[in-house]
Amino acid sequence: MTRHVPPINDLENIARSLRRSVVSMIDSVRVGYLLQGLGAADIFTALFFSELNLKTEDPNWADRDRFILSTAHNTALLYATFAHRGYFPISRLETYTRDGSELEVNASERMGSIIEATCGSLGQGLSVAVGMALSLRRRGSEARVYVVLGDGELQEGQVWEAALSASSFGLDNLCMIVDRNYLQAEGHSDRVVKMDPIPEKFESFGWKATEVDGNNLTELLDALRSARATKGKPFLINALTKTGAGVPFLEGQLSHVALLAPEDAQRALAHLEGQVK
Amino acid sequence: MSATNARGMGGFHDTRHISPSALSARSYGRALLAAAREDQRIVCLGADLSASTQTDLFRDELPTRFFMMGIQEANMVGAAGGMARAGDIPFCHSFCVFITRRVYDQIAMQVAYPKLPVKLVGFLPGLATELGVSHQAIDDVALMRSLPNMVVVEPCGPEQIGSAFAAALSHDGPVYLRLMTSSARPDDGKPAVPFTIGKAEIARRGQDVAIIAAGIMVQQALDAADALMERGISATVVNMASLKPLDETVVKELAQTHKLIVTAENHSRIGGLGSAVAETIALRGLRVGFGMIGVDDVFSEGAKLPYLLEKHRLTGKHIANTTEALWRDRVKP
Repeated sequence: MTRHVPPINDLENIARSLRRSVVSMIDSVRVGYLLQGLGAADIFTALFFSELNLKTEDPNWADRDRFILSTAHNTALLYATFAHRGYFPISRLETYTRDGSELEVNASERMGSIIEATCGSLGQGLSVAVGMALSLRRRGSEARVYVVLGDGELQEGQVWEAALSASSFGLDNLCMIVDRNYLQAEGHSDRVVKMDPIPEKFESFGWKATEVDGNNLTELLDALRSARATKGKPFLINALTKTGAGVPFLEGQLSHVALLAPEDAQRALAHLEGQVK
Repeated sequence: MSATNARGMGGFHDTRHISPSALSARSYGRALLAAAREDQRIVCLGADLSASTQTDLFRDELPTRFFMMGIQEANMVGAAGGMARAGDIPFCHSFCVFITRRVYDQIAMQVAYPKLPVKLVGFLPGLATELGVSHQAIDDVALMRSLPNMVVVEPCGPEQIGSAFAAALSHDGPVYLRLMTSSARPDDGKPAVPFTIGKAEIARRGQDVAIIAAGIMVQQALDAADALMERGISATVVNMASLKPLDETVVKELAQTHKLIVTAENHSRIGGLGSAVAETIALRGLRVGFGMIGVDDVFSEGAKLPYLLEKHRLTGKHIANTTEALWRDRVKP
C-alpha cells in the first residue's frame, strides 16, 4: 500500500500545533505531562499524520492500523493529536481531565475504540499489541499495529515476555516505538535501572531494531518505512527524544510532572508560535 | 459514552449457535473443540499446559487458531485482550492459581474493565493438587469475584461441563471457569446438569438445613446429607455453580424455608462462596442460622486430595458433623 507522505514542512507545522495544544491544555487545568508531551510530539505527528492508515469518519474500521499508547499518561499530546487529526473538535480539549470528562489523565476505553486498549498499568501494551497483530494476521488483514512504550516502562518484566512472543510469532505487522527520554517518576532513568543498549537488547530477542532522533521527523518517517518493509520480524524504533522539545527553555529538563507558571506558559506558546527565535 | 464508541465496552453482539456436541460434552476439552468447529472466532491460548488443560484436542485439530504462548501467563492474558478487541473469542488456559492471582492486574485492565469476551479457564481448583501451595488456588474465587464485569463459574463435575461451557461462551463478557479435570470423576453415565449464569441447581431437597456448595464440594455435601439423614436431620443440597452472579433468589428462598444454611467450598472461607452467601443474608436481612465450611485462613501443603480434604475438614463426614453441631447449638438448643 502506498501512503501519502505530507511535506516535512507541513508535518513540522502540525507538530508545533500539537505542542501549543499541550502547553495550553496543561496550563489550563494544571494537570498532565508537559515535558513528555512536548518530547513525543514528533513521534505522534509522524504516526498520525503520515504513517497510520485510519479513517477518522469510521474509527471502528476493521482494517485500520492500531495505535496503543502503553504508558497511557501522555494524554495532553494524545488528545491533541486526535483533535487535530479530526476525530473530535479541538474545543473538546477544554474538557481535558475535568471531572466527568472522558478525556482522563490516563486514557481509557471510555472514549471508544480510538483508545485501542486501556493501559497505564505499565508493561501491558506490547502484549495487547501482540494479540491484535496475531488476530489481524490470522484474518489476512493488512492493518498494522503500532505501540508506543515509555523507556522506563521497559523495566516491567511483561514487556520482555511480549518481546519474545512477538518475535516467536514473527509478527512483522507489529512496530514498537520506545520514547527514550530518560525520564521516569524517580528521575533520570539511568539512575534507576540501566537499560542501554535498547536496540541491541531487542535484536537479541529476535527483533529488527533501529535508533533515531525522536525529534527529527525525517528520521522517524524513514524508520517507519523500514519497519513496514521488514518481513518476518517485529520492528523496534528506539526514538531518542528530548523532554520539552520545541521550547528551548524546557528542553532536556527532567521533571515527571512539570507545571509552568502562567507567564512561562505564555513564553512557551510564544516560542511555539514563532514569535521568539 | 462517545459517538466513536461503536465497538462498545462489551465486545460484540450476535446470536451464536452452540453445537449439541459442545453442550453434551463431558470434558471441557471436547466442549471447546466442538464449539470451535462451528465458530471461527474462538481461539485457544495456552501456557505450556495443553494436556493438563485438555486443549491438546484443539491444538491437534485446529492448529491455526491455537496459540501456545509459552510460560508467559501475563503476556497470554494481555494478548487475549488484544485478540478480543480484534473480534476473537479467546479462551485462555492454565491452572487456577496462574490464570487468576498471577495475572490479576492484566485481567483487571485487559479483560474485565473493557468487558471483553475473554474466557479464563483454570484447572486444579482449591486443594486439588499434590503440588503444594504454589499450585493450590484457595483465593481465586475471592479475587475474581471482586472484579467488576467478571462472571465466576464452577460446575459440579463432568455432568455440568457442557452447559457451563455453553453459558460461558454465550456470555458477552469475561468469564472465569474453575474446573476440575474430569479424570477425577469419570461418570459419563450421570444425567447432565443444566447451568444458567445466576442460577443455582437444587441437587437434593430437604427441610431442616440447606447446604450450599460448588464444584467438588457438591458431592461432599450430598454425602453429608446422607449422613445427616441418619441422624434425623433433613438437608437440602444446592449446587451454586454460578459463584458470581450469585443466585440470591435461591438463598432467600432457602432462608425462608430452612432454619440453617451452611456453605461448603474448596477455597478459603474468606471471600468465596461462603462470603457471598453471608453478604446476601446480611444485606437482605434474612433471619436464618448460618455456618461456613472451607479452608481456614491458612496455606495448605502438597498431598493427595482425599488427605487434604480430611485434614481441612472438608469431607462429607466433616460437613455433616459441623452442620449437626450448628443445628444443635443454634437451632435446636
